[in-house]
Amino acid sequence: MNFEIFLMDGYGVYVWSSFGFTFLVCIYLYIRTKKTLKKLEKDFIKEAQNLPEEQFEDIRKQKIAKEILISHSRS
Amino acid sequence: MIKFLNPSYVFKLSGKLLSFFKAVLLPIVVVGLIFSLFLSPKDYIQGDTVRIMYIHVPSAWISLLSFAAISFFCILNFLFKLKNVTLIYKSLAPIGLTFNIIAIVTGSIWGQPTWGTWWAWDARLTSMLILMFFYIAFIFSYKFINNSDRSIKACTLISVLGLINLVIIKYSVEWWSTLHQPSSISLTRETTVHFSMLIPLGLMLFALIMYVAVIFLMKYRIETIRIKRKGIRKL
Repeated sequence: MNFEIFLMDGYGVYVWSSFGFTFLVCIYLYIRTKKTLKKLEKDFIKEAQNLPEEQFEDIRKQKIAKEILISHSRS
Repeated sequence: MIKFLNPSYVFKLSGKLLSFFKAVLLPIVVVGLIFSLFLSPKDYIQGDTVRIMYIHVPSAWISLLSFAAISFFCILNFLFKLKNVTLIYKSLAPIGLTFNIIAIVTGSIWGQPTWGTWWAWDARLTSMLILMFFYIAFIFSYKFINNSDRSIKACTLISVLGLINLVIIKYSVEWWSTLHQPSSISLTRETTVHFSMLIPLGLMLFALIMYVAVIFLMKYRIETIRIKRKGIRKL
């Protein structure tokens, strides 16, 4: 196997560590943001369901709340 | 145009855009990485280290543009008190900070084989580091100042001062003698980068912009849901 493509004349360590660092940071930010979003959606629905039925129905009619319910049920 | 000021319309639109950007992100990243790491040529002086440019330069551009956008939205919010605008800059700031750190770290890694040092206190590097502190101060001022008016004033002040730093970053390589090279790509001058290197650079810039769009939309939804939860608790 030709390792030269990975070694890059001895500069591979710099190139791969730069790309690796960027990749790890981006993955971490993505996973953390997604987790927070899902948790907030879940908590929002939970808190809305704990309200008296009349108020829950009012919230369900709101466009943003409706969108959160749809998005959460999809995932 | 007015419908873009309607939070429920923007929230619904953010959901649709998020699905689209998520779908196109991975293929663009893969193509961009193949071009950057394997297909693009070596530089005749720097050799393979030039490949670091394909993430360092777009990251620096994104961090600078994010701060410019944050400043614009802060001033807009300071003048017209638009709630939606607050959500935009709160969603953008952590992304800008992330890419600022990526630009500094990858620049430092690139510096070692080309300049023989990881860090130098030259004008470009120092002003980029100062930008990082502006980002941190900005994030702290909306996270830890509970009074809304004070928070908006602090954010606006930091963002306006940060704008001055953006001008310093841009012209630092012309005003002072620096280790950092002058810009090779300009809107007003002819680019000095060869076409074979512009393709991976453009692809990686596009891929990172798609990534920024995905994170921004998720963060925008997070901030909107936080406001809605506060509304529920008041009931």
